[in-house]
Amino acid sequence: MSEEELKSAIERGVEAATATVQRPGRLLAAVPNAAAVTALILLKARGFEHLSAISCTDWIEEEQFELVYHLWSYQDRIHVMLKTRLPRANPWTVTAAPLFPHAQTYEREIHEMYGVHFDGNPRLTPFLLDHWRGPPPMRRDFNTRDHVRERFGIEERIP
Amino acid sequence: MDREDILKMLKSPANWGQKYSLWAVYFCTGCGVIEIPPVITSRWDAERFGVLPMATPRQGNLFLITGYVSLKTLGAIIRTYDQMPDPKYVVGFGSCPVNGGMYWDSYNTIKHLDKYLPVDGWIAGCMPRPEAIFVAVVHLWQMIDKGMATGYERYRENREYYETNQREVLPHLPKFASPEGSG
Amino acid sequence: MRELELYFGPQHVGMVGNFGIVLTVEGDTVVRARSNPGYLHRGFEKLMEYRTYMQNFPLVCRLNVMDPDPEEMVYAMAVEELAGLTVPPRAHYIRTIVLEMSRINSHLFWLWGFGNLLGFDTIGQWAMGDRDYFLDCFEMLCGGRVYHTYIWPGGVRRDLPDGFQDKLRAALDNLERMLPDYDEVFFNNRIFADRTRGIASFTREEAVSMGLTGANLRATGARVDVRREEPYAAYADLDFEVPTMDAGDSYSRAVVIRREIDQSISIIRQALEKMPAGPAWKKTPNPFKWRVRPGEAYAKIESARGEDGMYLVSDGSDKPRRAFVRGPSYPAAILMLEKLLEGASLSDVGHIMLSLNIAAPEVDR
Repeated sequence: MSEEELKSAIERGVEAATATVQRPGRLLAAVPNAAAVTALILLKARGFEHLSAISCTDWIEEEQFELVYHLWSYQDRIHVMLKTRLPRANPWTVTAAPLFPHAQTYEREIHEMYGVHFDGNPRLTPFLLDHWRGPPPMRRDFNTRDHVRERFGIEERIP
Repeated sequence: MDREDILKMLKSPANWGQKYSLWAVYFCTGCGVIEIPPVITSRWDAERFGVLPMATPRQGNLFLITGYVSLKTLGAIIRTYDQMPDPKYVVGFGSCPVNGGMYWDSYNTIKHLDKYLPVDGWIAGCMPRPEAIFVAVVHLWQMIDKGMATGYERYRENREYYETNQREVLPHLPKFASPEGSG
Repeated sequence: MRELELYFGPQHVGMVGNFGIVLTVEGDTVVRARSNPGYLHRGFEKLMEYRTYMQNFPLVCRLNVMDPDPEEMVYAMAVEELAGLTVPPRAHYIRTIVLEMSRINSHLFWLWGFGNLLGFDTIGQWAMGDRDYFLDCFEMLCGGRVYHTYIWPGGVRRDLPDGFQDKLRAALDNLERMLPDYDEVFFNNRIFADRTRGIASFTREEAVSMGLTGANLRATGARVDVRREEPYAAYADLDFEVPTMDAGDSYSRAVVIRREIDQSISIIRQALEKMPAGPAWKKTPNPFKWRVRPGEAYAKIESARGEDGMYLVSDGSDKPRRAFVRGPSYPAAILMLEKLLEGASLSDVGHIMLSLNIAAPEVDR
């Protein structure tokens, strides 16, 4: 299957999807969040059995989080970046773990670092941060340097 | 061994014994751990300096904090340090324990190790060379001879200061019994 | 029998790296295992958003201390794709050599830990000694033994110094001479085979469903390698095999890693022969004023542990908007490890973890 064929398949099979061939081997597909699971099923059925990662970007100016599912097909050698947007005020979506078991860990980290809730994920427990009491640290409105100045008092030692 | 050394040894057998058998607690705290296996294996051979990796803190007297210290690791380091018997020496390895190093603006690493633990010496670098560890060990010998490597005594005397700093970044740290038995 | 909760790590003589596993054991059998990461979390991805593109370049190698050059490479590739930079051919070959040297170093470091956990101390001493000659080569190349800050967007920082090729060939000759001894002492040793055959095995489908890549996947019979699927640097011009085994157990993974060392030596020798002349880097924009046009890129390479990826998003400013790091050990260290440790003997816990070649800094970042 070529990138163009995959682009057509996604645009036909997933509601309100737009796909772009970025370069040979890279396809970007943007779908609304309600259609994300359909898109994942479509891709997995077409041989995209390897979920490389799930990443999250904070588009604070647009008040949205963007989840990107990175999928790879060993047969067709295409990497798909499936992007969906969530409202920043109430970031809630469904887990992809039944399709890709290790998605559980990526979702757990995004939950900890951004505050996105993944319904159905059995393990949205603290992961990398230990007894963390601040806001989700990867959000753009959390300024790490202000936090460090306040918590560790670096200014007093650095002239 | 010449006359000088024999005299020194007779004056202070404890110092002589301790400094020539600095057993480093095996704890890979951060990046710096990558230079520890070369140091303890055949090419650099720390054993000629008496330095061996030791499995448990109960049998170790040198604590090499190799690299940056995250908040979670700090709790483990304090617990490990408390288990080591006196006299014990702490050496900060790398520039991260000194002033935060490359991660000076990280929300999860401490910036100055000597606020939380008494440090006897620092090895600067990112990454320090194996020879730098040996230079530090020789410096530590001289400090032990002169009675200057008293980090463990400072810790006991200024326990309040260290504990306050530790609680500031680790509010959940449990209260350990003080060495005098109260609390 | 009573159940006990034991902490394997972070301070443990069998733990390579700062990682923890909470084990619930009944006698000598592990009933339940829970990974305890986070001891090395620095908020790397957050720090990258606060530094300009050139300031990030000395930072990225510190993502994985055991195998630093793939991180530099994957960052450079992502920035080159976003900014539209090209790399001169000589730099491709130099990058290939550096990446393969890093792979050999990582595998020899792995051998030290893995051997120790099975009770073989000699092989670790030899592996560390032979690895040190490669560190000498790195020191000659870029001034640092461990963190090289060498592969940057546009090529490499400087050309090969005089005498480097001879020094590298000497290190390769020494390793090749020692490898039969390694095999005699360790890889062909009956005890190593008895202790690792049939331990912690899984099928190709299980591996892919758990996100495993690299030697872990190749040991189940899948001949996959990013260097073949998406050739980068000079790999398209070089001749090498991708070793695989079938059983998917601890023994197979170790043997795949051993064969990869042979392949790396061969790749470096070929690259040294075929290296074209020319500049070692293309001029990049002024780092103080460098703004990358908006876009996103996913760059991936085959590091010593598997698929190493970076997803870089740029919003047109001088700093990355989002730098997401895909560490190859990440999927293996949490769910796969917990699954494999269930029912394992307590004496196998350490070496199961290391047979998956888990590097703790990649998990926590």
